[in-house]
Amino acid sequence: MNSTTISPVIRLSGVSKDFGSTRALSGVDLTVERGEVVVLLGLSGSGKSTLLRHLDGLELPTRGDVEVLGRSLPKLKAHELRRVRARVAMIFQQFELVPSLTVLENVLTGALARLKGPRLGLWAYPKQLKLAALTHLDRVGMLEKAYERADQLSGGQQQRVAIARALMQSPEILLADEPVASLDPESSAQVMRLIREIAADDGLTVVCSLHQVDLALGWGDRIVGLRHGEVVLDTPAMGLSKSQVMEIYGRVATSTAELSAIESELRDAEFAAQATDGIR
Amino acid sequence: MTALDVAGPSAGSAEDVAARAPRRAFPAERACAVVVLVAMLIFSVWSLSMLDFSWGNIQSSWNIAVKVFSRMGPISLPGPEDLFSLIGITFGIVVLGTLAASLISIPVALLAAANTTPAPWLRPVGRAIGVITRAVPDVVLALAFSLTFALGSPLPGIFALGIHSIGMISKLFADAIENSDDGPRLAIRAAGGSRAQEFWSGVFPQVLPSWIATALHRFDINLRGSAILGYAGVGGLGYAMKVAFAEFPTGYGRGLGIACVIFVMCVVLEIVSSTIRRNLLGVQPLGRGLGDRIVRAATKNRPAPAQRVAPRGEVDVHRMLRRPWTRDRVRDTSWTATGLLVVVAAWFLTDIDFSQVQWQFVPRTIESFWPPDLGSYSFADFAQAMLVTIQVAFAAALLSLVFSLVFGSLAARNVAPSGGVRNTFRVILVIFRGVPELVLAIFLIMVTGLGNQAGVVALAFGGIGLLGKLIADSFEEVPNGPERALTAAGASRAQRYLAATWPQGLPSLIGNSLYLVDTNIRSATILGIVGGSGIGFYLTNASTVLTLHGQVTTLVLMVIVTVLAVEGVAAWMRRVFR
Ligand SMILES: Nc1ncnc2c1ncn2[C@@H]1O[C@H](COP(=O)(O)OP(=O)(O)O)[C@@H](O)[C@H]1O
Ligand SMILES: [Mg+2]
Repeated sequence: MNSTTISPVIRLSGVSKDFGSTRALSGVDLTVERGEVVVLLGLSGSGKSTLLRHLDGLELPTRGDVEVLGRSLPKLKAHELRRVRARVAMIFQQFELVPSLTVLENVLTGALARLKGPRLGLWAYPKQLKLAALTHLDRVGMLEKAYERADQLSGGQQQRVAIARALMQSPEILLADEPVASLDPESSAQVMRLIREIAADDGLTVVCSLHQVDLALGWGDRIVGLRHGEVVLDTPAMGLSKSQVMEIYGRVATSTAELSAIESELRDAEFAAQATDGIR
Repeated sequence: MTALDVAGPSAGSAEDVAARAPRRAFPAERACAVVVLVAMLIFSVWSLSMLDFSWGNIQSSWNIAVKVFSRMGPISLPGPEDLFSLIGITFGIVVLGTLAASLISIPVALLAAANTTPAPWLRPVGRAIGVITRAVPDVVLALAFSLTFALGSPLPGIFALGIHSIGMISKLFADAIENSDDGPRLAIRAAGGSRAQEFWSGVFPQVLPSWIATALHRFDINLRGSAILGYAGVGGLGYAMKVAFAEFPTGYGRGLGIACVIFVMCVVLEIVSSTIRRNLLGVQPLGRGLGDRIVRAATKNRPAPAQRVAPRGEVDVHRMLRRPWTRDRVRDTSWTATGLLVVVAAWFLTDIDFSQVQWQFVPRTIESFWPPDLGSYSFADFAQAMLVTIQVAFAAALLSLVFSLVFGSLAARNVAPSGGVRNTFRVILVIFRGVPELVLAIFLIMVTGLGNQAGVVALAFGGIGLLGKLIADSFEEVPNGPERALTAAGASRAQRYLAATWPQGLPSLIGNSLYLVDTNIRSATILGIVGGSGIGFYLTNASTVLTLHGQVTTLVLMVIVTVLAVEGVAAWMRRVFR
């Protein structure tokens, strides 16, 4: 293979991000190798979304450097940045499909970076792209919904369409920002499994943020914990148990409020686990 | 035992309580606002009294009207062929003008919307384009560009509507963009899309329904106002009406007939456009016209049905390449085709002849508006004329306010003594709104031979329809807790109205009245053009001569400043009386 396999696909060095007086990220160092599946774990407000947005150049760091696929994002011109973004796909908690467009056209928007000029309407896309889009829809099990409006689908179905849109980019990196936080437990499990399968089949590098510990365990290769915009945990997921993660979390929690938040999350996780056990 | 006993001895006597009670707080800003309001009310009363609505004057106009009606021929219409060609031209001008304005409004709205503007300093530019185009009356534009086109040509009309309508359309387009969901746009940006792709794939599909609804709404407004364009020599029904009214007494029957045609056309097309807005787009028609109301009443409680697509047989990627002709797709396609057909038809109906256009006049016409000047007049002349126009606007607003307080209150469910009364007054308000006030004004001006009085009556008439409805709605929206509390305490209907409904409805009443003054100033300017009074008189004179266009700029700037001042006061009042 070529030189990109040697250097990591993502390298953050000393990244800090301030929004006014709020420090969303502070001194983050993170390296992700090609093909790794990384879970970003953290409570709400810990900076997960902000970190992911840095990896796609949607935010630029206040300090430090973000290197993605061998390019230093803060130094890029707008059109170069777009070229990097085309190789990095992102899926969102709220799916972010265009509600009034058909499912197929939504998937096709994933290919816009490869096309010149704006497109509107299915006829504006070349046939082989349409075939590719339908193939991706088939892969996520949404082929027969291709011509329905996106807003007529359930949440789980919309997230599958969003995954197909991401695949349309033929990405090297897949970023997912709490992809199942708006879904019911059953669709959550399906969507998480789908992402994992696709990552394995296509050899994608995945960075996925979650705030549920139980979903994270046994899903990723590696768990990175964020707290107040700092990396407080970075460990292989292999053989890690829930109580171990919570213990680490508990040790790094400095205030009682944080501890109780973690405890209630643990309770929720256990409750959810029992609920899914009950279904089985 | 009485209530006083319960309070106990420590409560003290009544005087004691009065002495200990806090002084009534009255912030200075509120006091200022009250003073301004009272001043405006006094100004309105004074304006009304200045316009000489004396008994003798009313009698003499009544006599003129009687004479006119007794001597004019029977109401008649032009021959069917003429009539259809006139209708076609008016329809075509309004369609093409509105379409042009909508297309130009897209880039203007992109500049003005906070989330699409390329640079923050361009936002005020986009807004300014909207404010200026809205402030220049379409008639003035049509007059100003009449030199460039042959008399009776539709082009100045298309031009005028196309520029004037940008103000409202671009404002509403920009609002729609700002209200759209940012997420899909960011998703396209995250996938490497360009700015243009972000807009056309992520924003445009979201805002399109609301944009079409806005364009259709503006189409209705432009149609109602199109009669006035005839005064600038723009062909169509308005011009035919003007020509007819110029022939006394033989033409009056025809003029009246044409006025009726315009009225019917307004109502019919408003019904059509509201139906489209409702059925195609799921946007409730919110307009003030008769058609909007009928559609709203007819479609009440009928939610738009959701549709599902279930492909038959086996699905595979290659078969799915062909999009099935579902009901949704058939519907969308036929609407698109109909829309295109209407535009093409409008093009042919107006019979635009570009060879008649004197292109060499276009740049000179545009240049001629700068710099603003006073010509042979003094600023005092213009100020005096502006004052007359403002007087007409305020006087009409006062008349509307008085009548619509009565009508609007009785049309409010929580005020009217019975459902029957409420419905009766709702219908009365609908009728008031149905009449295009500008057509009414032309008619009154023609018949009575009076300028300002006729203008005030016509504006007041239209204003009752608008303000009455707004009052009724705002009274109905008042939280009904206080009313129920007073009813429980044994208050009468009238006491409840004054003590609970009024205080709660007052802020929106003030805001709506000022809004009426604002629209009245624009309308009074236009009426002055027809009736030859106020600032409209100078506008007519100056806009037809290329070398006098500097005066047009001065006059329009004066109108802009006045309207902005009223809008500013309205915004301040809304804040203070919230
Ligand atoms: N665009 C922004 N403007 C201001 N503050 C922001 C912005 N985005 C994030 N923040 C702040 O940064 C912190 C981290 O937010 P976020 O990355 O969304 O956390 P998470 O995704 O883990 O919930 C929060 O305190 C949030 O309020
Ligand atoms: Mg987040």
